[in-house]
Amino acid sequence: MSVKLLVAEDEPLMRERLLGMLATDWPEAQVVAAPENGFDAWDAFLEYAPQVVFLDIRMPGMSGLEVAARIGRGAHIVFVTAYDQYAVDAFDAGAVDYLLKPLQPGRLDRALARLRDKLERPPGDVGDVVRQLTVLERKPEKLKWLKATVGKQIRLINVDEVLFFQADSKYTRVVLADSEALVRIPLKELTGGLDPDRFWQIHRGTLVNVTAIRAAERIDAERMQVLLRGSSEVLPVSRSFTHLFRE
Amino acid sequence: MFKRIAHWYDEWDREILALLQQPGLAVGVRPGWRRAMADKVAELSPIERQELYRFCRDYRGWVLCRVFAKLALVFSVLGALFKLAIKPEVSLLQAVLTANALGLVTCFGLVSFWFNHTKYARSGRKALAKMVGLGALGGLYGAVLVVMFRGDAGQHWLELLPRTLIATGFGTLLLVLPGIGLAMVRNRHHELLTAQLSQEAEQARLARELSETQLRLLRAQIEPHFLFNTLGAVQQLAQQGAPQAAELTSHLIDFLRASTSDMRCEQVSLETELGLVDSYLRVMQVRLGERLRFSIDLPAALAGVQVPSMLVLTLAENAIKHGIEPSLRGGEIAVTARLEDCNVRIGVRDSGVGMSDTPGSGTGLENVRHRLRLAYGDGARLLLSEAEPGLLAEIVIPHKDTP
Repeated sequence: MSVKLLVAEDEPLMRERLLGMLATDWPEAQVVAAPENGFDAWDAFLEYAPQVVFLDIRMPGMSGLEVAARIGRGAHIVFVTAYDQYAVDAFDAGAVDYLLKPLQPGRLDRALARLRDKLERPPGDVGDVVRQLTVLERKPEKLKWLKATVGKQIRLINVDEVLFFQADSKYTRVVLADSEALVRIPLKELTGGLDPDRFWQIHRGTLVNVTAIRAAERIDAERMQVLLRGSSEVLPVSRSFTHLFRE
Repeated sequence: MFKRIAHWYDEWDREILALLQQPGLAVGVRPGWRRAMADKVAELSPIERQELYRFCRDYRGWVLCRVFAKLALVFSVLGALFKLAIKPEVSLLQAVLTANALGLVTCFGLVSFWFNHTKYARSGRKALAKMVGLGALGGLYGAVLVVMFRGDAGQHWLELLPRTLIATGFGTLLLVLPGIGLAMVRNRHHELLTAQLSQEAEQARLARELSETQLRLLRAQIEPHFLFNTLGAVQQLAQQGAPQAAELTSHLIDFLRASTSDMRCEQVSLETELGLVDSYLRVMQVRLGERLRFSIDLPAALAGVQVPSMLVLTLAENAIKHGIEPSLRGGEIAVTARLEDCNVRIGVRDSGVGMSDTPGSGTGLENVRHRLRLAYGDGARLLLSEAEPGLLAEIVIPHKDTP
């Protein structure tokens, strides 16, 4: 099985360059997606479960650091950044892989060689480095209120009262204890505005409010589902997120 | 005993000298009258402290004793001359003692006027009245003593009292008036000097700020992030053999050349400034592709208007950084200039993510406000407003050609 790569970079020329160089230097690897913003990057990660993720740090939607924080130990992460001494110092100190833009062939070879060695082992934790760098970045403000159209009314929904969010093509289904509504924003774009410690992604299409979880139960060796307070709905947990509920 | 006193005096002397150089030390002095003295010293103006410091340093210890001895000698000789030449009936001792007393008091007085000029110049009349009054009282006291010891009859009282009062009062006036005059002259000199110094300090501060601003500009323009990312784009285009490679390089060259030369001028014409903005946006357009569209509209009549260099560029950079780049779908930037009453209004509007989502530190905008203040005082403004979608940033500056 070939190695699956994800390349997230917002500038088209940079993206092409990285893709081109990867194609020549690591032909046996397969680039499964090349998203151009943080939302799509996270979504593509959930969809393809790549082993290696190349993340530009400055991206619209979620920054590369935010995406990395969500991926956690889910993949080997390589940050791609233009000159930024803070970031470079932090990466060096945390032994985190990174590439400097503009990309130079020799440097990419070296990084790829290291990466191939590492693939045998489980991915390391980039959490410390990400937290350290996130302090320097401007923090995107977290969502507090959602506007949802219900008939002729526009309802204001307090995010804290939401039990869970579910993707519904271009819309997102917002479920509360006593009612539900549809908002016009795709789930992947909402994700970035929500506090990741409060809303857990348990499935590519589901974000659940941690305080609303009553229990998680096993269906079989691989599958799990979440039972809620205040709702009889049962939410499936995809395999890549069962670790959230492991003791 | 003597040693202890000498030691104590020496320590205090040192403390005062140290305070004169570093008034901040006053906080550390233990409370009591020494603390009160220290606080007084700390309240002095820097010039006064400097003068007092020099005086205290030059007349420390034995030097002061020697000066006293010299003064005493001079006054003794004067006293003796007075007895020999003018009034032979007084005793030599009396004459010498009186001359010394009067002379030393005068010297102390002059030193006091010299250093306390602010106080005496401000409350001149009050101080004068107080001192003349005190002098007269002293005279009165002397007269009473004389009458008591000599045991003279009461008839002298009526004669003696007014005469003593007038003589001592007048005498004090004679001594004090020149002192206050001296204080006033010194005070005026001091005020002029202070004004001059603060003006120089202000000028130095402005010059420093200007060069700091230019340095910040330099750092901001040749931001490595911008340069490296652009070079990366050039590299990729060149590898593809795309004709855009040469185009992007020439925009980058325009931008670099214009920004390095504009940085040296405080003011440039609006045409030059918007040319710089144009080359910057062209570079960004190649890099961002479809995500950026832009337009620049400069009426020919405003081409020659002088504006502080690189201000509009800062607004354009902000529009890219906080409006277009963070936006998923990108957007449009419109740069416009128009005449409005007696002002020129230059606007940079982006249709990006808008104000609420960009709580950045705002150092770029702070810098723009600051440069506007330096150049026009309160005559210019920076306005920010929501543009639905996006943000509109405007600079309003007075138009010099309008009457």
